[in-house]
Order: sequence, then C-alpha cells, then structure tokens
Amino acid sequence: MSGFKDVLDGAAEIAKAMGFTLKTLVSEPPVTVEYPDEPMTIYPRFRGRHELRRYENGLERCIGCCLCEAACPTGAIHVEAAENDPAHPTSPGERYASVYEVNLMRCIFCGDCEAACPTEAVVLGHTIDLAVYNRRDMLLTKEQLLNPPDPNTVIRGDW
Amino acid sequence: MSDLITITIDGKEIPAQRGEMLTKAARRAGIEIPVFCGHPKLDPIGACRMCLVEQETPRGRALITACTTPVSEGMVIHYGSEKAVDARQGTLEMILINHPLDCPICDKGGECPLQDHTLAHGPGKSHFWEEKHHKAKNYPLSDLILLDQERCILCWRCIRYLGEWEDKPQLGLFHRGGETVIDKFPDGELDAYTSGSIIDLCPVGALTNRPARFSYRPWELRKTPSICTHCGQGCNLRIDSRDDIVRRHVARENVAVNDEWICDKGRFADDISVSPARLQQPLARIAGQLQPVSWAEALQRVVSGLKGVAERHGPAAIGAIGSAKASNEANYLLGKFMRGVIGSNNLDHREGAALLADPRGLPSLEAARHADLILLMGCDPSEEMPVLATLLKRAAIRQAAAVVIVHPRRIELARYPGHCFQPAPGEEPALFDALTRATLAGRGEPIPAWLAGAAEDAQITAAANALAAAQRPFILYGSDYAWGFGARAIVASLTNWVTAAGHGDRLGFLHAQANSQGAGDMGMLPDFLPGRRPLADAKARGDLEALWQTELPSQPGLTYGGMLASARGRIKALYLLGANPAGEKPADAAALKALDFLVVQELFLTETAQLADVVLPAASYVEGDGTFTNSERRVQRAPQAVKPVGNAAPDWLILTHLARAYAPERAAAWSTTSVAALFAEITQAAPLYAGMTWENLGAGGRQWPWQALSLQRSVQPYKPAALPADPAYPLRLVVGNQLWDDGVVLAASPALAQQGIKAARLHPTDAAALGLHSGDAITLRSRSGSVRTTVHVDDAIKPGTVFLPYSLAGAPAGALFDEYAPRSAVGVG
Repeated sequence: MSGFKDVLDGAAEIAKAMGFTLKTLVSEPPVTVEYPDEPMTIYPRFRGRHELRRYENGLERCIGCCLCEAACPTGAIHVEAAENDPAHPTSPGERYASVYEVNLMRCIFCGDCEAACPTEAVVLGHTIDLAVYNRRDMLLTKEQLLNPPDPNTVIRGDW
Repeated sequence: MSDLITITIDGKEIPAQRGEMLTKAARRAGIEIPVFCGHPKLDPIGACRMCLVEQETPRGRALITACTTPVSEGMVIHYGSEKAVDARQGTLEMILINHPLDCPICDKGGECPLQDHTLAHGPGKSHFWEEKHHKAKNYPLSDLILLDQERCILCWRCIRYLGEWEDKPQLGLFHRGGETVIDKFPDGELDAYTSGSIIDLCPVGALTNRPARFSYRPWELRKTPSICTHCGQGCNLRIDSRDDIVRRHVARENVAVNDEWICDKGRFADDISVSPARLQQPLARIAGQLQPVSWAEALQRVVSGLKGVAERHGPAAIGAIGSAKASNEANYLLGKFMRGVIGSNNLDHREGAALLADPRGLPSLEAARHADLILLMGCDPSEEMPVLATLLKRAAIRQAAAVVIVHPRRIELARYPGHCFQPAPGEEPALFDALTRATLAGRGEPIPAWLAGAAEDAQITAAANALAAAQRPFILYGSDYAWGFGARAIVASLTNWVTAAGHGDRLGFLHAQANSQGAGDMGMLPDFLPGRRPLADAKARGDLEALWQTELPSQPGLTYGGMLASARGRIKALYLLGANPAGEKPADAAALKALDFLVVQELFLTETAQLADVVLPAASYVEGDGTFTNSERRVQRAPQAVKPVGNAAPDWLILTHLARAYAPERAAAWSTTSVAALFAEITQAAPLYAGMTWENLGAGGRQWPWQALSLQRSVQPYKPAALPADPAYPLRLVVGNQLWDDGVVLAASPALAQQGIKAARLHPTDAAALGLHSGDAITLRSRSGSVRTTVHVDDAIKPGTVFLPYSLAGAPAGALFDEYAPRSAVGVG
C-alpha cells in the first residue's frame, strides 16, 4: 500500500511548506518593489545612465579628450572638443568638450567609457528609468548629462 | 672599395650602404632604433640621445648615438644589450622628467613618437616625484603655430628645418639646463612660408596647428591622400576629416614634387569645404532676384536659355570660360559640351590663349634639387610656389647654385649669390638682348645685326657666361612676363638668351594655378583640342568626333579677353566655370551685364555669380574625385575626402546632366558615371595622357614626357613693342601673385586674415617724393580707372614702379588695366 503512504507523505510536505509560507507571511516584510511607485534599491556598482560630473568649483571634469569615444565598443559616444576661453573656462586647462552626446540606443552599459576617462568625468550613474516616447530622446546631450542629482558623488570609488 | 658593406647588429649580419647612418641601415633590416631628433630630411645632430646603442671598439664596448654614426665595414653593434636598453630607458626617463604628460588634451596624443617610444622602450615608472618645471603652455609663435614649452623635448627639429630648408633661422634655444626653451628671437617673427612644416616634424605635441587645435584626435580621422590646389606645384598632402568635416591638412611625401613639405597656405587654408559662404543650392534669377531653385529647374533653365540663344544667334554666340583651378574632368567636359553639344569653339580660361606659356610647363621639379644654376625670369617662387622656393634655396646653399634673377622686384631668392637684374617694365627685351649678345660673344659666335646695338657691361657678361657655363641649370619664366602688352617681345628675347646659351630645352614655365597645365591639356583653349592637338588638325578633329559621336566646328573661337570684349556684340551667352572676371576687372562686370544669358558654376557667390541668370553650386575639389595636372605635367589624383556641402554637386556630374538634358539624343556619349571612367575617356581624347588610368596614377601621380611635344627654338629677331611714357601717370604698374592675398579660398579661412601685407608697394624714394608712409591709404589711378588701397614702402620695389598684388580685397588690379596692361602707367593721388 505504498500509494496511500505517498499521498500522506505528500500532504505532510505540503502542510509543512504552507506552514512556512504562513509563518513568513506574517513575520517578514514583502520583497516585491512597487516600482515605479516605490524607489528601487540600487547597488553601488550598478551601471545606469551616464552622467558628466563637475568639480566642487563648478568646472566640468570633462576635458574633451575623446578617450571614452575611442573606448566605446558600440560607437555610442560623440565628442567634439574646443579651446577654453581663459577668462571664462568651462573646464580646467585648455580644452573642453563643446559637444558630448551619448546614444542610449547603442550603449550596452559596459562601463568602458568610465574606465577610459582620465578625469572621472563620465560615470554610469544610478538612473535606470530610461524609457522615452521618442527615439530622438535617446540621444543625450551634454546639458542632460551634466545635471546629475549630486555632482560630487564618486559612485564606485575603489573597487 | 664597394659601397655595399656588412655590419652586425645583435649578432645578425645586415647589408648597408657605406656612409649611411646606422639608424637607416638598421631600419632596412627591420630594427627600428628609436629617435627623436633624427629625421631623414634633416642633418644628423644627436641632440636627444634616444638612439643609444653599444658599439664594439678596440677598447671595449662604447655607447654611441646611432642617428649620427655612419656605418663602416665590419661594425659590430649591440642594440638589445642590457647596457644599451638601460641607456635608452634612462634617456626616456630623463626626457619625461619635465614632460607634462597631458596626453589626453594634446593634439599629438595618438600619433606621438614620445608616447610610442615610451610604450616600447620606456621604464614604465619614474624615479622622480618632485614638482615638474612649469613653462608657457600655449605660447603663440605666430597666428598659425602654438608652442607648448613644457611638452618640448628640445630635439631641434623645428630649428633645423627653418635653417636647413627655409634658410630662415627664426627659432632658437634660450636659457640653459632644465630652463631651456625654444623661442623666437627678440623682435623676430616666425613668418617663413612653410613654417607649418615644423608642426609635422615635431616628435611631441609642442608645436601645434593653431586653427585646427583640439578639433580632432588622430585615431578618429579619415585620412584621404590628396593634393593641394593653391598653386601649380601640386604638393601632395593628406586631408584628415571626421564626420565629413575637414579637420586639418598634413604633408605627404612625394620626393619628385614637394619632398615632404607643404606651404602654410596649403596647410592652413583648409576651410573651403566648411565655409558658411559656400553655395548650397542652385539659384536662378526670378523677377530680377537670385532665388533658390531645384537642380531640375536650374538645369532646365540653363538648357532653355542656351537653346534660345543658339536658335536666335547661332552657336557661335555662346562661349564658355573654364578654370585653371578646376579639375581636368571639369575642363574636359566643359570643352566637350561646348564643342560637341553646343557646337562652338568659344572656349578659354583666364591663363589660356593670352598667356605665352610653354605648352609643357617646366621640365621637372626634381631638377631644381640638382641645379647648378637657377635662372628665374618674371616669376617669384617664394610667393607663387613656396615649396619649390625651399628646394631652390637648398640648391643655392648646398650645391652653391648661382641664382640669376630678372624681375621687376628684388625677390626673396635674390639674397643668394648670383646676379639680380631689375629691368623696369618695358626694358626687359633690351636686357635679354644684351644677355643674348654677351652669350654669343662669349661663345665666339657671330652676332646678328639686330643685336649689335645691345648694351654691354660687366654684370651682364658675367651672368651670360654663368648661364652658358652651367651644366644643369634650372630655368623658369613666369606669368609676369608672359601676358599683356609687350609680352611677346619679352618671351621672344628671353627665349633667345636661353637658346643662345645652349639650354633651350631646359626653359620652363612656372604656372600660377593648380591646373593651368591641365586646363590647356584638356583643350580649354579656343584653338586647341584635348591633348594639345591643334583645332586645325583634321585628324585630331576626326578622332574626337568618333569618340564624342558628334561633329566638331573647325573655326577657332574667341579667347577669354575676346569673349568678354564681345559680350556686348557677338557673344550673347556665357557659361563660366570657376571664373570670376567681374571680381578681377570691373569693366568686365559691365560687359557681363549686357549678356542675354549668363550661367555661373561656382563655389561661392562671387561678383560674377551675382550677375548670373543661373548659378550652379559646384563641389570643391575636396568634395569630389578629380585629377589635376601640375606645372611639370604630373597628373595627380584628388579623391573625394568629404561629402559636398548642401546640394552642391561635382562639376563633372553637373555637366553630364546638363549635356544629357540639352541633347537627349547624344546621351550615349555622356554616359560615364564615375571619375575613373571619365578619366579613361580623357586618356582616349588626349593622347598625351595615354597609358594612364585612375588606378595607376596611384599616390604619386604620373607625368607625360617633356619630349612628347618638341619645340624648335633658335635665336630669332622679334618685333619690339614700345611702352610709351605718360606724364600724367608717372609710375609703371607691376602686378604679381602674392601668397597671402584676399582670394576666395583665403577669404574662406578667417584664421589667415592677418597673414601677409595686403597693400600696394612703393620704393622708399617714390614714397618719400609723394610724402607717403607704410600704412597710408592711397588711390592708384590709370587711364582706365582707379583703386583704393594702402601703401607699403619696400626697397625691393624698382623705383618708378608700383607693385599691386592680384586679388586684394576692394583693389582689383584689373581696374587699372588699359591697352598696355599689365604694364599700365599709373599715378598716385
């Protein structure tokens, strides 16, 4: 009569599991995030939308060296450089980026741009809500990239 | 003793040429010894110590600099030994002590020998942690070149280039030790015409191209091997572009043409394809105003306009003016359209039938390097062909070539030993007669009666003897002596002299424009067909008729001047391709207004284009494929580097579509769809070009032979032309080309606006008599008109003459031209 025993054993397992479920239901908070009504927890090394950072004095970190562009495996970055006006510099030194564009349709969020950057100007931030209604809006301009919420946060630090 | 010897490097035996530098022999064997100061085109100096290797000597191994050590038989070299590697590492570490390592913002980063050598030979880390020396970071040496003294590694290449090639030592080393810097001399300028070459030569990012600064990174550039079209030398250069925008020009080596140098105009006047002034859309005159129209409508208007004139007045009422700045293809097709489709031989260009040029140009640019005497008559290579001028200077210095000059100005090359004659306008034939007479007398030949009265003096005899004794003279005459009143007598008399001296076959002509030679080769002349075949030659016409599937008119047409002079008479319609008569001579503007129909195919809305009924926007040479033939008959490719601006189209494409629209029944003869195919057709139409193809022109171009057209020259009497004095206009006009003028190409490059002195020039004695100082505004008057400009006092000017460069903004020399042009009498007031 092994069939009957199997049924009983099965029922016991189900009861045990249901017991665990019922216990967890009342003792633990839910793990599902009601995104976008609730914010997501994002881990420090997460690579989201690009940001261009500034120094504390407000000067742009980007010097327009185009190394991010050279490192980019998908050709998602376009940089044009120009010479700083010494009276009103945009960045320290002689050179700055007059055009900085990221094509999010091409970007694969590999982080090579960040690794290539000699001034820690471009970083992949923690913005993950990238959906737009218009393909053109996937081309991020320098103005959009330069306005991250907190300009001086070093996102990844030493790792 | 054989010149081929054997040396040993790292135990490997390699062949070498006796006397060549060790670096060169090693490179041939595949061992690249790093160098900074050493350069194949500069004298060895051994300033940087980067090329240290060990040599076996009787007293043991010694470190030597490979770039200054000539190889010798049995030499034993250790390149990879521990000591040699350590020495090179130490040298690099020392060079990098004060180098700022700002590679991310340095224009050289990515093509920098210092980066490359550091990666290949460097220690990787430095012993030094102290603060680096700080020097000037963006120090302008001129409007065109910036020096970063921190990056400089003191290799002396720039100093040596200016000394060895330009013979203008305008840079030097100042201070000592770690404070040493390159700088201009106090009160000195860096204004040599090929100064930009030092940017290419600099092995680090110390010297950078100021107008192009920060506009590119080397790895992202599309590099198109092309040529320069600013003068008739056709220097080889590379057009670097990105995103279809030209970023910079750099020199490309072609030892036969330009060695490895280009002039500053060729390097920095590179904005023709980005100028906002470029025409982007066809324009048509609608209700009296030029308004944008579609290509289809523009071509339809050209077809109906030309057809209307042809029906009312016959095809001979239509003329076309080509351009020595446009490609062979453009000129060839304009000729084919006029002769084969319209049926008119009214076909010429500005430097066309009126210019008494040698149909073969000059024998060979490379001959300038080996010359033992340089004879320049009515041409100024420093202003008209600066790179040729550097080759000539080098011949004058390195080979002690005497420089004999006959020119109304004391030109720059007159600073070399030789003879400089400054005949006043009108007196040139008398001088050449005297030289001819002295030459004949020196050779003991009979002197014809018509030469018996020629002057004699010691300098004339010395110059005549020098030319007669020369083995490899480089002889040029230029456009200053080859057109206008009296030119026939000048050219005949100078030909007499050169022929009498036994060098008749070495007399060459210095063309001023990029494709002066090619425009003539393409038959852009009223009486010559493509390939310099005379129109009167029935066989030549027959060959072309078969190729073009048409019938050709046999009556010679009107010349450039003839067409413009007839614009109020026989000529009712003109098709101008790249020609701007209205801007050059105000009288011609009035003539063009009288035409029934005017078509202008142009890059810019020039004075002439503003008068047109239809303006067709052409692509510049950067934006389309084409070939150009330089002064030494070298046909060179100028491939497309960037897209045409706006809706502009290449000349050949415009003309092909126009011909097909004008005569749909002839479409079969107008079916080429690429420049390569078109060039193949040209080689059939012009037998001089036989054997060439677009592919085999390659990177260096191909020449058609000097002997392909033979000219029989002998000492002949000629008809003198007296230039009457005019008391009301006491000065004599001298015109000429100047590198930095206000031409349309330079106007497109705002960075060059401040280059050169754009003024009429007077001798100090004339200026003093008139109470004028440099910078004063003057009005020059002749019987035909007047121009307002400023004056520059210059003792190189012949007293009694006033020099007015072509293409000065607001002061077209053509306004002063009368029947004695360009040697018109003028007054200041």
